[in-house]
Amino acid sequence: MKQSKLTKDQIQKLLLSVVGFIVLLYVYFTFFLGPLNRSRTSMLAKIDELQAKIGSSKSEITKASSLERQAGTATTRFADLQSLTPEGAPIAWFPPRVKTFFANHGIDRATARLESSAPFTEPELAGWIRYNWSIDVPQVDFASLGDSLAALENSEPLLAVTKLSIKASAELPQFQQATIAATATLMKR
Amino acid sequence: MPLHLNLLHEEILELRQRQRDPLKIGLSAMIAAGALMFGYYSWNAYQTLEIKSRLSIVQRDWAKVEPRVTAAQKRAAELRRTVDTTKVLDTMIDNRFFWAPFLEKLSRCVAPNAQLTSFDGTADETKGVTVSIEGLSAGREPRAEAEELRHLLGEQLGKNYKDVKVEFKTLEDLDTMANLGGANLPMARFVLNVEFNPFEAAKPAAPARMRKSKDEAKQAD
Repeated sequence: MKQSKLTKDQIQKLLLSVVGFIVLLYVYFTFFLGPLNRSRTSMLAKIDELQAKIGSSKSEITKASSLERQAGTATTRFADLQSLTPEGAPIAWFPPRVKTFFANHGIDRATARLESSAPFTEPELAGWIRYNWSIDVPQVDFASLGDSLAALENSEPLLAVTKLSIKASAELPQFQQATIAATATLMKR
Repeated sequence: MPLHLNLLHEEILELRQRQRDPLKIGLSAMIAAGALMFGYYSWNAYQTLEIKSRLSIVQRDWAKVEPRVTAAQKRAAELRRTVDTTKVLDTMIDNRFFWAPFLEKLSRCVAPNAQLTSFDGTADETKGVTVSIEGLSAGREPRAEAEELRHLLGEQLGKNYKDVKVEFKTLEDLDTMANLGGANLPMARFVLNVEFNPFEAAKPAAPARMRKSKDEAKQAD
């Protein structure tokens, strides 16, 4: 049998070849195939993400259009409620409005003054403010007061009477003196 | 047997050694592996380019859809806010206490021989409605007249409101007499405390004027 014995020079060359091969593999995987695979993986992930977004966006658009249809009543109602707050500071328009309202119901000398105002704590009412008013009606008969109060409660849906005080008038027994504490929910302007 | 003389022995040995040169073999192996690796890399690069072109198509699609989606999302959020706000406002409107029907009931409970001199009422969504009514009653039994008012008021309010409590805070005879129909009758002064919860029970029917105005509003819509 023929013995093939490697010389020292051959062993050195063999080792050099092995090292060269390892270096080649390292360079190949680290600087060529690795970045390529990474970029491919990231692109695939991005494609998946965008496709999911596109898929969900279609349902989102459908949902929005169906919500638009469903919210039709609420939108109209909201617009109606918004229109109850005129432009300008409430202190400027609310007292004259109350005065005119009671005058139209045959009650003179009704005055309204602002007691306090505060924002709502509910997040849904972030664009609204609660105004507390005191309405003094110095001379009124019980029936007219009841009648006008009914009209006020019904014509101003965002106005809630929280306190009502009626006292008999000392000078004119047929009349009473009324004080109405009311809370008005008004839009921030 | 003929004798063969190999005169090129050294040259052949040298050639064999050259062929068996590990560096040469290694280089050949490396070149082969490199070619394989290059092929694999090219295949991967081709696939990556294909993916890149797919990505650019998807990105173009998304660029087309995105503004519409953003607008739809914005609009949906706005609508949801509107719906929520309207719900809360409607709840507030529905939970209001209407004083006019209460005053109407009260006025119907007061007999001609009784007179109310003071009325103080507070409506609170959590505590309910509390009213203090001060008045005078006259009759042969002025206390019984006041009790009649208390009883009738409790009965009437019980029809529409929950947890109705009508109690006397004070009820006292007065020294002064009232002249009713030419007869002098003794008088009593009373203070009634009325408590009830209007926010859970069925609400009293809205006054006729309100119904009319609401109907008009609906018609206008």
